[in-house]
Amino acid sequence: MNLNPEFQRQLQLEFSQARLIGVPLILGVIFALTYIIDDYQFASVTTRSALGLFLLMVSFWGARQAVDSVLEEQRSHTWDTQRLSALNPWTMMIGKLLGSTLVVWYGGVICLIVYAISAPNANNFMWVCSYAITSGLLVQSVSLMLSLCALRKGQINGNSIIIGLAILAAFTIGSFIMPLSEDPQNTQNAVDVTWYGLNTTVQSLSLVSVFLALFWCVVGNYRLMAQELRIRTLPWVWLSFALFLIFYIGGFIPAEKFGDYFYTVAFSICLTLSYFAVFTEHHEPMRIKRLFTYVAAENWWRSAEELPLWCVTFVLAILVAIPLSFTHPADIEELHIYPLTILLLLLRDIGIFLFFNYGKNPQRAFSLTLLSLILLYGVFPSIFTAAKLKGMVVLFFPLISDSTILSIFCMSLQSALIWYLLYKRWLESV
Amino acid sequence: MINVDRLIFEYPNLRALDEVSFYIPQGSITALVGPNGAGKTTLLRCMAALEQPVSGDIRINNIDVLEHPRECHRIIGYLSDFFGLYDRLTVRQCLHYVARAQGIAEEDCAAAIARVSKGLHITDRLDVLAGTLSRGLRQRVAIAQAIIHSPRVVLLDEPASGLDPEARHELAELFLELQQQGMTLLVSSHILAELEAYSTDMLVLREGKIIEQVTIKAHAHAQDFKLVLASPVENLATLLQQIDKIKLLKNEYNQTVLLQVQGDSLQQHELLKNLLAQNLPVCEFAKITSNLQDTYLETIRHRS
Repeated sequence: MNLNPEFQRQLQLEFSQARLIGVPLILGVIFALTYIIDDYQFASVTTRSALGLFLLMVSFWGARQAVDSVLEEQRSHTWDTQRLSALNPWTMMIGKLLGSTLVVWYGGVICLIVYAISAPNANNFMWVCSYAITSGLLVQSVSLMLSLCALRKGQINGNSIIIGLAILAAFTIGSFIMPLSEDPQNTQNAVDVTWYGLNTTVQSLSLVSVFLALFWCVVGNYRLMAQELRIRTLPWVWLSFALFLIFYIGGFIPAEKFGDYFYTVAFSICLTLSYFAVFTEHHEPMRIKRLFTYVAAENWWRSAEELPLWCVTFVLAILVAIPLSFTHPADIEELHIYPLTILLLLLRDIGIFLFFNYGKNPQRAFSLTLLSLILLYGVFPSIFTAAKLKGMVVLFFPLISDSTILSIFCMSLQSALIWYLLYKRWLESV
Repeated sequence: MINVDRLIFEYPNLRALDEVSFYIPQGSITALVGPNGAGKTTLLRCMAALEQPVSGDIRINNIDVLEHPRECHRIIGYLSDFFGLYDRLTVRQCLHYVARAQGIAEEDCAAAIARVSKGLHITDRLDVLAGTLSRGLRQRVAIAQAIIHSPRVVLLDEPASGLDPEARHELAELFLELQQQGMTLLVSSHILAELEAYSTDMLVLREGKIIEQVTIKAHAHAQDFKLVLASPVENLATLLQQIDKIKLLKNEYNQTVLLQVQGDSLQQHELLKNLLAQNLPVCEFAKITSNLQDTYLETIRHRS
């Protein structure tokens, strides 16, 4: 049988005989304890424990396995061997995702069987199972994606952050699934929600949403793996994801307010994705040099391949900002929504992050940027507000200015300064 | 077989490869030499499509490496200086994984593993965990991984570092065997003695530039010889110039000369007979083997 080689290797590494026997043995001991606590029957304590253990295993252990399937390769200097193989990105990604976590699912299935036996009502068993399995896959898939991003950035010891996020995800999923498993009325009396005029329940929609998130995560993993395997990619997947997100979230806008809010929502999504892309992507000065070389050679295809992802959503944000400017979005308390000023704010923040990234210690770029943004958005405006110097507050936080021109001027000044410094630093580093 | 043209690779604040251009013929074993930090590993990684240069062109077997890196991966074998073995797998499992990952069908894997393990003398270690092997054995397993799919080009980064003399000798024999099988090898090292035994060509890389490309063993039919006489002979140069198929390269005091001799060992024997027939007091007639170390140092001296 021609089994996926990466999947097979992961099994050889992770599915040891000790684990094959150890996992059911440990779970057996735990469930024996809950059986005794439940007064010699499978009841509520066993049900909760089975579901809790399932979530903990697939999230915490699963995330760790998924992360190690990538970062351990780099730590053991075997990543180049994999990159030089003839395996395609899909085979490699699926092999890692499913192969490294199969032992986790082995334990997970035991937990679900115990849950099925002990659950007081079987009405919502399929719901709980669907949520639990899809969410578990999502957490593992996100972990794999973050580890691929960490690999690109050279942060090969970043397990703890990713696993920390996975635990957080486990608690979030748990807080949603636990009430559902305990009270079947939760599914029967579910709250209705409307999406593009389609009436459905929160449970159904959230399950579909988790499925969709899983789908995009797998697509993201495929793209990152393709890049690692030196397959040239254009940023159309990122663009498609942004458009999908605009379409998906746009569906929750009430029909009567759709015209008023759609562009605001789309604009917010583009901004958020731009921040996300800039913080997660690997920014090397040489990439920009290659980009400029390709542009100079009028090699547009290559230029598009080297284009940082944040540029794609930033351009999309500019396109959305044009109609948004004409809809005159309502103010949020004292804040005015000036699309151009907000775009300049984004540009300044990206400039700050890249400035630190091109410095001597790019590993600290995120924390230094965070500190800078806290100062720019919080501390400085607060000081000047306390000192009743509104003009100075406008300089740092121009969205409170009543004048659009003034806000644009202030932000242009800041952005120009930051990008000038960034350019100087970039020149020094190439 | 390998054509590199104006390759530029840059690290922040450092041009690691500066317009590197060279050609490597098929079936050759080329020694890539240069001091530490010259750019040898970067060049090999670029050729293996593991790094992306700023500009330039690399073609291996007419495949544009920068345009089609995955196609290039199928025809090359690459041995990194870290070996890249899975310590928790047995040697057989390591080789099986690489064989499958390189597209060898499941049913052909056993034969491929048997072939490479026999060639590298690791048959008796197939069921041992890779992590428990000595450095020499790990290196052999790593080479087995690199050649299991019978690549046309093998790139080896410091393959003999840390090996004992016996293992180095075996390695040299293996490289010659791979060459006989039609593979083209590019071997990087800064220990010239280890390259001497098998290299046919030498590329000298210094500060990111190719400063010399020398053919070491191309003219098998023309060999340099040293002739030493017991006492000086007045008309030695005239005498030697009258003999067919030899060229006088250097004459020192009509007693020691350097000759280039055309032909095989039989013709060399005839030449010696001829010299003795002319009553020359020959006390030494010896082949001069080209010394990689000397060639390299001479190149470096010329360029600096």
